[in-house]
Parts: sequence; C-alpha cells; structure tokens
Amino acid sequence: MAQYFGLDKIAQFFKTVKQYGGLKASLYKLYRMDSLRPGTLVGTDKYGNKYYENPSMFYGRNRWIEYAPQYGLEYDGSQVPAEWFGWLHYKTDLTPDKDPSRPKYKWMADHTENLSGTSGQFMPYSTTRPKIEPWIPPKRC
Amino acid sequence: MLRITLGKIIKGAKVSPKYVYITTRALSGPAKPPENVEVFIDDKPVHVPPGTTVLQAAALVGVEIPRFCYHERLAVAGNCRMCLVEVEKSPKPVAACAMPVMKGWRIKTDSELTRKAREGVMEFLLVNHPLDCPICDQGGECDLQDQSMAFGSDRSRFTDIDFSGKRAVEDKDIGPLVKTIMTRCIHCTRCIRFASEVAGVDDLGTTGRGNDMQWGALTSKPYSFTARPWEIRKIDSIDVLDAVGSNIIVSTRTGEVMRIVPRVNEEINEEWLADKSRFAYDGLKRQRLVTPMIRDNNGELKPVDWEAAILTVAKVIKCAGPSIGVIAGGMADAEVLVAAKDLLNRLGSEALCTEHTFPLDGSGTDLRSSYLLNNKIVNAEEADLVLLIGTNPRLEAPLLNTRLRKGWVHNDLDPPKLAFREQWEALAGKEYKPRPVVASIGPEVDLRYPYENLGSNPDLIKQIITGSHTFSRKFKAAKRPLIIIGSEIFERPDGAAIFAAVQTLATKSSCTDENWKVLNVLHKVASQVSLYYRLIMGGLDTPGVDKIREGNLKVLLLIGADECSINKSDLPKDCFIIYQGKLFIFNAEFGKVPFSIFHKTIKHSFLGHHGDYGASIADAILPGAAYTEKQATYVNTEGRAQETLVAVSPPGRAREDWKIIRAISEVVGAKLPYDNLNEIRDRLDQVAPHLTKYGYAEDANYFKQAEQLAQSIQGNIDNCTPLDVKIKVLEDYFMTDAISRASPTMAKCVQAVLKQKQSKY
Repeated sequence: MAQYFGLDKIAQFFKTVKQYGGLKASLYKLYRMDSLRPGTLVGTDKYGNKYYENPSMFYGRNRWIEYAPQYGLEYDGSQVPAEWFGWLHYKTDLTPDKDPSRPKYKWMADHTENLSGTSGQFMPYSTTRPKIEPWIPPKRC
Repeated sequence: MLRITLGKIIKGAKVSPKYVYITTRALSGPAKPPENVEVFIDDKPVHVPPGTTVLQAAALVGVEIPRFCYHERLAVAGNCRMCLVEVEKSPKPVAACAMPVMKGWRIKTDSELTRKAREGVMEFLLVNHPLDCPICDQGGECDLQDQSMAFGSDRSRFTDIDFSGKRAVEDKDIGPLVKTIMTRCIHCTRCIRFASEVAGVDDLGTTGRGNDMQWGALTSKPYSFTARPWEIRKIDSIDVLDAVGSNIIVSTRTGEVMRIVPRVNEEINEEWLADKSRFAYDGLKRQRLVTPMIRDNNGELKPVDWEAAILTVAKVIKCAGPSIGVIAGGMADAEVLVAAKDLLNRLGSEALCTEHTFPLDGSGTDLRSSYLLNNKIVNAEEADLVLLIGTNPRLEAPLLNTRLRKGWVHNDLDPPKLAFREQWEALAGKEYKPRPVVASIGPEVDLRYPYENLGSNPDLIKQIITGSHTFSRKFKAAKRPLIIIGSEIFERPDGAAIFAAVQTLATKSSCTDENWKVLNVLHKVASQVSLYYRLIMGGLDTPGVDKIREGNLKVLLLIGADECSINKSDLPKDCFIIYQGKLFIFNAEFGKVPFSIFHKTIKHSFLGHHGDYGASIADAILPGAAYTEKQATYVNTEGRAQETLVAVSPPGRAREDWKIIRAISEVVGAKLPYDNLNEIRDRLDQVAPHLTKYGYAEDANYFKQAEQLAQSIQGNIDNCTPLDVKIKVLEDYFMTDAISRASPTMAKCVQAVLKQKQSKY
C-alpha cells in the first residue's frame, strides 16, 4: 500500500539523509554532487575517494564515486585512479581489492590527475632562440 | 687621375690647387674658362667641359653605360672593361670610364660592336665566376647578376673538359665585419680604391694577373646567409651611434633588424657609413629591457606590468615634488627630452642634466654657434687649414674624418710635402705662401692621413693667438681655416677658459668669407645638440651632472644614461649614506626613496658591470624604444634635425620614450598637453622651430658676440693638464654606448684589433 502511494520513497529519503549524516550534510552533498543516492560503500582508494554501489538503480547509475573531501568542488574524472577506473566503468565487477589477477610492479607510476589549467600543467616550450634577449637584472647578494 | 667628378665641377666645386698650380704654370697666365665640347651619344648631342669622360657625358643624356670598376666617388681604374663603347672612326672600342671625350666624337653605346664587346667581357668574367647565385649572399642585389642578364650572352661556351675547375684562391680572414668569398671576385678593385682613398687604410691590394690574381669578393660577415634582398623591408632612418647623424636604411624581416646600410646624403655621409653604425645593429637584440621592473623589498628588480610601474613611479614623483632630477644619455631623442623638460618644469624642478658637461660661462648654450659644427660637415673638405683641438675625429665622427681626408687627398693638405716645398721656396728666396695643412692640439692619434701634431698643452692655443707659435703664421694666412674642438674639452674644469681662448682664436683668422664658419664643435653623442635646445628653453639648467650631485634630490630619472656619469662615489659623503640607505630599501614609504628610472638600458656582459651600472642602481625600470623602433627627432652635431622612422616594433612591453613620460605626467597630475606625435612635434616647434625642419641645418651666427661674452670668463687654463681624448685607438672605438656594448659583432671587432696588435706582421 505504502509502495503503491510511493510512501516508501519518503522512508527512503529519510534513510538516505540519515546515511549521509543529517540534513546539513545531505544538503552539502546535494550541492556538491547534484544528487542524493543511497548506496553501499564498496571501497576507498588511497586518495580518499569513496566508491558506492546501489544495484537497485539502473545500469549506468548504480556505481558512482564520491570524491575525497579535499577536492571540494574542484573534482574531475581524471582524479579516478586507474585501478578503480575499470570497476567504475563496468569493465569489471571486481573491485581492486577483490581482483587477484591485477598486475603490480614496483616501477608502476603513481596516478596523476590532469593538471591542465593549474600551475603544474605541461607547457610546450620553443627550441628556437628568442629574437630579443632580455636584460636580466643582476642578483643582489 | 681624374679625382674630381663631373657633378662637382658643374656645381662649381673648388678644383684641387695642385691642378690649378699645374695649369697656371702651363699657361703662365690666368686660367681661361675651358670651352665646352660637343659630342654625340647615340646621335644625341651634348655639350660637356673638356676632360669629361665618355661615361659621364653619356650619363648627362640619360644613357647608362654598364660598369663594374667605375665608381664616381673613387679614382678611375678602368680595369673591368665592361664600359667599352664604340666610337666612330676609332679602330677599337674605348673604355668609357677612363676616356675623355674629344670634340665631335660620335659615341655608340648600343651598337653591334659595343654589345659584342660587353658580351665578351661578361663571358670572360663568368668563366672564372661560380654560377651558384642561389647560395650567394649577393644574389638579388648583384651587379654581375643584373648585368649578365642585360648584357651577357644567352648561352654558355664554357665546357671544362679538363675538369680543371674555376679560379679559387686561398681564403683570407680580414676581420669580423667583412667576409671574403675567394671564388667570386671580378677584380673591379673598388674595395682597394675605397680602402686607400676613402678609408685611408691601405690594407687591401691585388697581386698576380689572370688566374693567379689573389683577391676575393667582399660581403657582410654578420649578415651572411640571413636574408634576401627581396624579402626585407627597407626603412629610411638616421644613425645615432655618433653625432654625425648618418643617413641609413634599416632592413628588417620578421620584425628583426637584419642589416643597416648607408643611404646617400651628400651633405652628411655621402654614401659611406661608419663601421659601428653599420654593424652594431645586433646590439639592438641583446640585453634589452622588455618589461617594466620595480625593485622589491629584497632589493631585487622584479618585472611588473605598466600600470603598476607607472602608478608606483608617479606616486614617488608626487611625493618628491620639486626634488626631482633628470639625466639624459647620449641616445635620447628630442621628443623625450622636451617631454621630460616640460614635466620637470611643471613639477617645479630645473634639474635636467646631460651626461656630458658644457660650460655655462660666457654665452654658454645661449648662442647656437657655441656648440655646433657651424661650418657643416660637407664644407670640411674645402678647408685649407684644419686645427683639431682635443678631438680624434677618426673615431669620434669617422665620416667627418673621411671629409677631412678627402680634403687632404684633393687639396693637398700634406705636411711633409708642404714642409719640403716651403723649405725649397725659402732656399729659392721666394716669398712665403700659405699651404693647406691639418694640425692638431691633443694626443698623438692615428687619423689615417699625415697631420702636424702641435703638442697637447692647452697653452698652445694662447701661443697661436699671440703669434708666438710658428703655427700662427699659417693660421693667419689661411683663407678657409677650420677649428674643430672636441666636446671632451668641456668636461675639463678649465673647459670654459679653453673654449673662450678658442673662440678668440677663431675671430683672429683672416677668413673674409661671410659664410665660412671657423669655429666648430664636434660632439660625440647624438642627443647632445638637441639637449642644448632644451637648455636654452629652461634657461637655468646645468649641462652635466654636477647639479644632480649637489642637489638634494629624491627622485632621479635617467633617460638612457648609462655612462656611469652619476657615481655613488661622486656624491658627497653625507648624501652617499642617505642615498645608499634609501636606494636599497624599497618599502611603503615611497616618498623617501631616491628613485631612478632607467630607459632602454642595455646591459652588456663583455666589460664587466660597466654598462649595467644604470640598471643596477635603478629602483624602477621603464623600457623604452631604440632608434630603430620609434619615429623620433635627432639633431646632429651641425644642428641638422633629422628623423628616424619605425623599422621594427619595440620589444616586449617597451614603449616610445616620450609616451612613457606623458603617461606618468597624467598620473602625477601635471598632464602634458600632447597626446600624439604631431602634437609633441608642435611643442618642439614652439621650443625651437628648426627642430622640426627635417634635413635642414640652420646656420648659426653671433660668433663675435659669443667671443665678447667669453671674455668675461673667470679662471685660467690649466696648462699642467694636457688635452686628452678618451677614444685614442681603434679598440676603444667599437664599444662606446649601450647598443654597441651589447653587440657581439663589436666585441669581436675589439678582439680582432687586439689580436692584430699581437700579430708580428
């Protein structure tokens, strides 16, 4: 009956709010991620990003990431490390900690996010000599 | 040798006394004006004076005869044979450049025989000339290329069946400026004649004949393989590296100055150019100020944008009020000087100073005749007596020296020859007749022509005036004497007294020609003369930095002043501490900070920190434009206003100098009433109308009055200190200002001179 009238959605809402830790936290989450979804925490990567799953939602919406709090609103897809990428994009159903066949070598580089638009971005440089050599003021010692 | 060109004769130039002497002796009577002869060039009649060559006569009717070796400013050599023309009833074709016309000659410049002769000459030239114009530097502006197109054969008979190769000789290193290409020489000997006649450096020559002939074609070494004549833009401009104001063409490509070549101006540089002016252009690309800089709390100069720089500078100037001074350097243009002067006056200051001093005693800078090369550069070659006082024209103004040398070549100003002739005449009991001569008071320097060094004691001037010196007899006898006084004299403490004596000496000459100006001042830097106009306008200014040293200045604006004229040790002891203390602490208390602004400084790394002095003491740097980057007025040492044009844009954030001053003035609250070039030119016109009469040198007068005023000068000549010049030898010449000090080519020149000195040959 309650399901027929959709009252379970209200219960679901309160449950979700409770899961997120109160009304204020939920509002912040809504502000930051544009959605409130109840889900089970599947794992956390080394950067603090949390990965959630809710099989009751349809494919494409049932796995998501909640970026680590230090990113604030400045999060983007390149902050997902490679080991979680496959799970998040349905390439595999096994999370990194449950997949024994993942290769692990010492020389594998750490994940880096896309630094475009920041001071760490890659800047191509000219290899030709400048037409004007500027005067560089002498360093004062 | 026919050294006097037709053009000069037509203009009524003075014919060499040597020839006059010979002619008068031959005729033993007054020389009659020669009658013109009639000749026919391609059946066109033309009347020319006897002695005119076929080539010159043809030029009069507009027929240009091809030539390689003939150059109208050099002696005729007649060795290229390209100018062969047919003369009716002559068995052989004649060389037009060397053959004087005879009455009634019918010259055929486009006949079958003439064309065949030209084709033959071209073929012989090209037998020993590589045909790789695409890799040759001269390609596109090559006489040989053009003339082989116009007059050469359309097919080759050259088949090197023995594979013996074309003529090539051993490469010669003749310094960092001129490149020799040993396969391309066509033996026109123009370089040799130029070196020996114009430059006075008999270093080039030819040996051997035919295939053994040992010489190469000359091209510019720094310009080699950089640009092609059809891809460069040519902008007419003015050279500012010395006070002569030579006319130049700035060739640019891709926003870069590729080379500088001379532009013909008969009144200044003819068609020659000094080495520094021609080759120091690579200094325009190095050590440039490209962004405004402000000294931060740590004492480091940090790049800032224009807004921050101008606001900061304006704030400091506002706090300083009238305690502001300006030192203008050698390459400041008239526009920035008038803007700086106007700004200073609006702020209630008068301390616009030059780096080089000029005595204000007597007439000072009030009368133009006291600081100009009054007799004009072009007339220097007409002088029959030249007295150089404390100057080395060869290195301070090379193109004036070529004029003097020309006079020496043409007018026989040769002391040893003269001495011999005088002795001979004395023995023969003849009456003393004056002979032209060049003499100098100052250190013994190499002028590339013989001259009489009277010594370096300033007392010699007095001796010549009183007549106790033997030279005074010659001076008094001279009809066209020329006294050239170097601007370094004025930097001596007794400069005013020496100049007064020279002014007196100038009035003692027996020159009767109204238009002949005996007294001439030779400056060393391009901005000096236009600066003196500023001084007239202000009235109270001090040339030289003495006022800066005395004054309790809070703000000091250096406009391209990098000659170390204001030195920390020059400042008084008590001022020194304050100056230093405030100089290096740049904090919120801007008003207390002595502040200097440095324009267009070019630091160089070759002579230590000498050139970066201005920048290292400056607290703010406002980058300005060099002379190739702005439309600006410069006045040369004869008082001729000339205009540079924009060839390339100023690098980075640099701006035209006067616009910077104008921008500051607005923020300071003393807005200058000109917004564009025309309006500031109007202001120039108000200050000194001849500053905007470009290309025209206004005559200066009031020599008598200046001399009378000079009589009031107190102080004696210091006879213990001999007259001296700073630039004595060639290695001092190349790096004298911010641009040439930054130039790698000029540095190489200095090295080459030093290496040459060590050479045992």
